[in-house]
Amino acid sequence: MKRGAKARPVLVTLLMLLPGWAIFFGLFFYPMMVTVVRSLRPEGEQVGWTLEHYVRFLSEPRARDVILLTFVLSVASTLCSIAFSLVLCLVLRRKPRGHRFFRLTMLVPRVVPGLIGALGLLLLLGSRGWVNLFLLQFPFIREPVQINYTIPGLILFYTWLYFPFTAVTTLSTLESLDPAIEEAADVAGANRWQVLRHVIVPLIMPGILAGSILTFMAAFGAFSIPLIAGGNYRPLAVEIYRQIDFTPARWSAASARAMIMALLQVIFLTIYMRVLRRPAA
Amino acid sequence: MTLLRQYLRAIVNARKLLTYTFLLCFALAIYLPFLMIVLRSVGKGWFGKLWLPPQLTLDWYRWAVEVTNIVDITKNTLIIAGLAVIMATLIGIPTGWAFGRRRIPGKELLMSTILLPRMIPPIAYALGVAQIFYRLHLINTHFGVALSHVAVCAPYAILVLSATFEGLDERVLEAAAVCGANPLRTFFHVIVPLILPGILSSMIFTFTTSYNEFTLTLLTYGKDTVTLPVRTYLAIGEGYWEVTSAMSVILVIPSLIVLFLIQKQVAPEKLVGGFKGV
Repeated sequence: MKRGAKARPVLVTLLMLLPGWAIFFGLFFYPMMVTVVRSLRPEGEQVGWTLEHYVRFLSEPRARDVILLTFVLSVASTLCSIAFSLVLCLVLRRKPRGHRFFRLTMLVPRVVPGLIGALGLLLLLGSRGWVNLFLLQFPFIREPVQINYTIPGLILFYTWLYFPFTAVTTLSTLESLDPAIEEAADVAGANRWQVLRHVIVPLIMPGILAGSILTFMAAFGAFSIPLIAGGNYRPLAVEIYRQIDFTPARWSAASARAMIMALLQVIFLTIYMRVLRRPAA
Repeated sequence: MTLLRQYLRAIVNARKLLTYTFLLCFALAIYLPFLMIVLRSVGKGWFGKLWLPPQLTLDWYRWAVEVTNIVDITKNTLIIAGLAVIMATLIGIPTGWAFGRRRIPGKELLMSTILLPRMIPPIAYALGVAQIFYRLHLINTHFGVALSHVAVCAPYAILVLSATFEGLDERVLEAAAVCGANPLRTFFHVIVPLILPGILSSMIFTFTTSYNEFTLTLLTYGKDTVTLPVRTYLAIGEGYWEVTSAMSVILVIPSLIVLFLIQKQVAPEKLVGGFKGV
């Protein structure tokens, strides 16, 4: 009797956890397994095992370019996000007038669909967009500057869309910082720059790290932006989609690329965390 | 001495000016793209080096409604988002309760596995989801598309709801019991009012997630379940920038309204963050 009474809450807890687990397995784990198996099957068949798709993709010279491009885009946009978020958050922390509005503004790129942000940026930065009209006012700029469909342009797009991850965590870490620490540094005779360099930045590093990982992951997996704004530059996600976009769809080829992508993400993340953790340690 | 003070004041003022210039540029960088979309959607004959469209028109909106059948598409989007919200909430309440109220060995690990779908790029498992759905004939059904959205929506719901349940104070429940409320009464008069804000914010988050979801929809949609983001993408491919802009305006307005409405009630930062530490 007593044992039964004790076992029941455990059973209830397990039952309550069940829906979450069912979704996890049904919609994530099982599809991933399907993708793995598909990538090892010959194209369009249900039997047999082959590594052909991996070998074929990796032996293409383009594969290296695609992987390099994905890596460059995500790392560069992460670095840009960190730099921009740091300045923005240091400014917002002083609570200038209207800071609530700017805080909300910071979230806008995450709330609207990525497609629309990309569309707006394409219009704004195009050869007839306002940015180019403004730049043409200067006497030394004769031709419209090509921003869209270039790698720096893509980095700008990614940063615009994914910096909120970094900014939000940086800001919340910065605000939970004890002002007494800064005052202590101030009293000890450190100037503003020294306080920032040796006190504030090391202290908020964990927050920046956590946020920038989110930015990195989002940029690495970015799909909708390079799909419409990438032009000839195709990162991995777009490369995967291109395999099944036309008929006959090459599901196995796409799956092999997806597995390479997932693997690379894990590797990059490990390296990234190592590199960023070192100065903090 | 006064000169020195003037210099100092000038520096302080310049700092302020610099701050506001920076913030202004930031706000412009965020909002100008939307302004461009709005201008493009109402402009006519806007070619060459013109800052503003020479004529205004609503033709593109009429086009958007007539040619792309935007009423049906909006209906699809709302049905799918509604289904996804219902499913995610039904999953999130029990699982969130277990995470928030129960002592579970290895809770952190369990939580991070459940959050895994938000970390792996959706395209990787969307491929698998699409293949499974083709086999189960779930492609091109509202339920199927909504179900695929649950993969990204449910982790949000679980996260928000487990925080809600965790914040539920045991003493309040005890107080209710001491005051002679039976469990049923406690549930309806004490627990439900306390967790309702959490459930509402989880529903709002999952709704916006599903409403904006693109990757999973693109791989599971059919001709009867085109949603607004997919339709916008197709329109971009067709190259009608004006009509696309008009559709984007229609698509983006609800998101912005939601953002400005919920900022007072719930911390909108939750929309972005979610993981602690990683």
